[in-house]
Amino acid sequence: MMTEENLQQPQTLPQWLLHNAKNRSQEVAQRYKRDGVWQEFTWLDVRNQVLQLTLGLRARGVTRGQTIVLISENRPELYWAEWAALAIGAKVVALYPDAIESEIEYVVEDSQAICVFAEDQEQVDKVLPLMARHSDLGTVVWWESGGLWSYRYEGLLGWDEFKSLVQPVHAKDEEWFEQVVAQGKSQDIALLMYTSGTTGSPKGVITTHGSLLHNASLIGKTLQLSEACDYLSYIPLSWATEQWVGVTLGLLHPMRVNFAERPDQIQVAIRELACEVVFFGPRQWESLAAGVHARMLDAAQWRKKIVNWGLRIGRLARADQMDTIKRHWWVRFQLFFADALVLRPLRDQLGLKGAKTAFTGGAAVSPDIFRLFASMGVMLRNVYGCSEFGLISVHQGKQVNAETIGQLVLMPSAWAPSLQWRVSQEGGLEVSGGAGFSGYWGKPEKSAEKLNGEWFQTGDAVGMGPGRTELIYYDRVEHMSSLKGGHQFSKQFIEVRLRFSPYIKEVMVVGDASREHITALINIDGEVFGHWAEQNGVSFTTFTDLSQRPEVLAQVASEIAVVNRTLPESARLRHFVNLPKELDADEGELTRTRKLKRDFIENRYSALIEAMYANKAHELIEIPVRYQDGRAGTLRATVTVGRASTQSDLEI
Amino acid sequence: MTEKPIARPMLEARDITLKFGGVTALANISIEIGPQELVALIGPNGAGKSSLLNVLSGFYRPSHGTVHFEGKDIGAWPVHRVAQAGLARTFQGTHLLPHMSVLDNILVGRYMHMKSSLTSAFFYYPYAHKEELKHRAVAEKILEFLELEHIRHHPVGTLGYGMRKRVDLGRALAMEPRMLLLDEPMAGMNVEEKEDLARFILDIRESRQIPVVLVEHDMGVVMDIADRVIVLNFGSKIADASALVVQQDAKVISAYLGAHE
Repeated sequence: MMTEENLQQPQTLPQWLLHNAKNRSQEVAQRYKRDGVWQEFTWLDVRNQVLQLTLGLRARGVTRGQTIVLISENRPELYWAEWAALAIGAKVVALYPDAIESEIEYVVEDSQAICVFAEDQEQVDKVLPLMARHSDLGTVVWWESGGLWSYRYEGLLGWDEFKSLVQPVHAKDEEWFEQVVAQGKSQDIALLMYTSGTTGSPKGVITTHGSLLHNASLIGKTLQLSEACDYLSYIPLSWATEQWVGVTLGLLHPMRVNFAERPDQIQVAIRELACEVVFFGPRQWESLAAGVHARMLDAAQWRKKIVNWGLRIGRLARADQMDTIKRHWWVRFQLFFADALVLRPLRDQLGLKGAKTAFTGGAAVSPDIFRLFASMGVMLRNVYGCSEFGLISVHQGKQVNAETIGQLVLMPSAWAPSLQWRVSQEGGLEVSGGAGFSGYWGKPEKSAEKLNGEWFQTGDAVGMGPGRTELIYYDRVEHMSSLKGGHQFSKQFIEVRLRFSPYIKEVMVVGDASREHITALINIDGEVFGHWAEQNGVSFTTFTDLSQRPEVLAQVASEIAVVNRTLPESARLRHFVNLPKELDADEGELTRTRKLKRDFIENRYSALIEAMYANKAHELIEIPVRYQDGRAGTLRATVTVGRASTQSDLEI
Repeated sequence: MTEKPIARPMLEARDITLKFGGVTALANISIEIGPQELVALIGPNGAGKSSLLNVLSGFYRPSHGTVHFEGKDIGAWPVHRVAQAGLARTFQGTHLLPHMSVLDNILVGRYMHMKSSLTSAFFYYPYAHKEELKHRAVAEKILEFLELEHIRHHPVGTLGYGMRKRVDLGRALAMEPRMLLLDEPMAGMNVEEKEDLARFILDIRESRQIPVVLVEHDMGVVMDIADRVIVLNFGSKIADASALVVQQDAKVISAYLGAHE
């Protein structure tokens, strides 16, 4: 009997929490940098916090099956609130801290939320108006008092006030807590993860405890973490990745989960902790890489030479190994010095000194980025999956092929069988088995659209890499485009490569079956170009002015020419324009994950696109803009159409 | 939030006259500051605003008149005693220690509350250690309040002017004042820095529930945040009312725009 009980694993996240609190009560579970010092919480501390919160939720009338919304930067309280909600059997929706009021309102309505945990005044101000409009939304809890001292609203509670709703905690309350947690089953709904809304309005992906545990255990198996490993939580909780790694694997492994003092202190915290696992989105890796390049622009000539030499040796010794070219002894000899002089300090500066595993995921990363970090001695590994289905592939082992998105993860876990996969006729990846797809919340028709029999359509166009174990990601099936001549191309592929240029911040490639060639809308990096302009004696006033300087256009054109060389002749960029303003999520041009909202941008800048195809030299446009303080205005600018070289160097 | 001075003002100055040789800097000025009031002191250059603030905080001795703080006559007290009574002030410009960190500069403001002697601090007695932790905790709360955590270890000299003024304010707060006097806290700042600081001043009043007196040139800020505005001109008080009323006052307008004699 005893052994059988031991074998029986906890089935939900709160059960895991109680399991850890019992077996590892004095081990440190979480650390939070407060007042300049890392404050520690043991598993028992965490359990007691969650107990109080759960009792607080009960006192506010929250019951099994209801929905709780979390909106905060990553901090221990956010985790505790999630676990408390799960303990009582409620489901959780985590939102980006910079979600705007209408986005929050949509989610509150769609998920029928009855309680919101909001970090501070900024979040509370966004949620309070919703309380008036949605009578079900009865409780809002904050944990950062700044600016909220004089707020008096029915149902708005401070953290301490909320925790002391049931005070003192009696033995029967603890008993009830243990009981309600024990009632949880692995097939219970734990989360609704809202899709970013790149295609239509966001949908809440139903995620069960079993699915979270399944994916976390697969990630754990591929990571091979050391015992008592430190993890820094900074990926937003609204991403599946953080739910799998920080929230679930943190309980399962268990890891010590750390929280930085402020969101802008993440880089500092990573350095302090020498994190073993570093997880950045592609844009963050790109901005780290661009940061290295941008800071180099300011450096003295001899410094630049040393850094370039170090990176070149690193690339020859380490990165080209990815393409299985043997290392020369002379390169290996130089690597010793290059590492001491350039590469190690660089790793240290970027906070990657202790990184054993460096992950990226969410979107495609340029192979150039892989190569740059590999040169430094940091091997990036791609994780590929979707919030609907979970983990699908990840780079494993010593060899990393930068062109692929990793090997398929075909392993069973204690909670779900192994994944099955196939590629459909349209080139889309389809999967079944695994943790499975539980549908979208309240949208059965949308869920049905995603299924082809028992197969879930990921909608990603993929191909097979070497050995037929690794996937190559092209683009979304619906985003693969063809030109008038029938030439296929992937916009994203080109965009990622263009964005690797330090001068280009965002870029949207345009071209479809009605067009003969490809064009691009470019959002230049104002900061980098600002420096560049200073050094090259180019005077400018505003971003708009800077973007249209002939010198800037020429520089962008030469960046495009470099990328053009890597593209097939039929799919090269001919014309481009520098946008007179930066693309902005607040204006609906980007999603919160900083993905382009293509239709919207295409509509907004249609005059520019037509001008490029009509081969015009200039175009006057007027764009309505909204300033940060909410005022509306109009931006009027003459935009020059740039021409990029489509010649190959190798052309005879 | 109180519009009118409460029956028992916290700070009360009566018939203050201040003379430098033959120059009369302040002539028969009486003011009252109630608890939790946010009062702005304005006036053209040389009107005597800073002089008045210096008299209130004990830096100048008035030639004539009395200053009462919470019922006690502080007019003849030395500066450090006034500070101990709970009157903290900042100066025009910044008077910080440029080579010390932000944190250390704020800890300097705790000096008054420190009890351990040089010997006990040098040998690091247990209670000296405990005391240090206590003061550090207070300083950290202030760093958090003023959003300075990310630069806590930066030398003050490397910071921009706006940030330095914020550290200056932090040092005044470290004294745990019962009343705050700010001398031109926003001079030389850009609009954004001013907005930030205005927000902090309002937050101080709201969270600590203490009165704040500020000397300020920026009319926009004054009219936005002050409960009451006191206008000085050539050493005399010419108006003392809410911002709205003061804006309409003929004497104030002529003081600022120049009047026909």
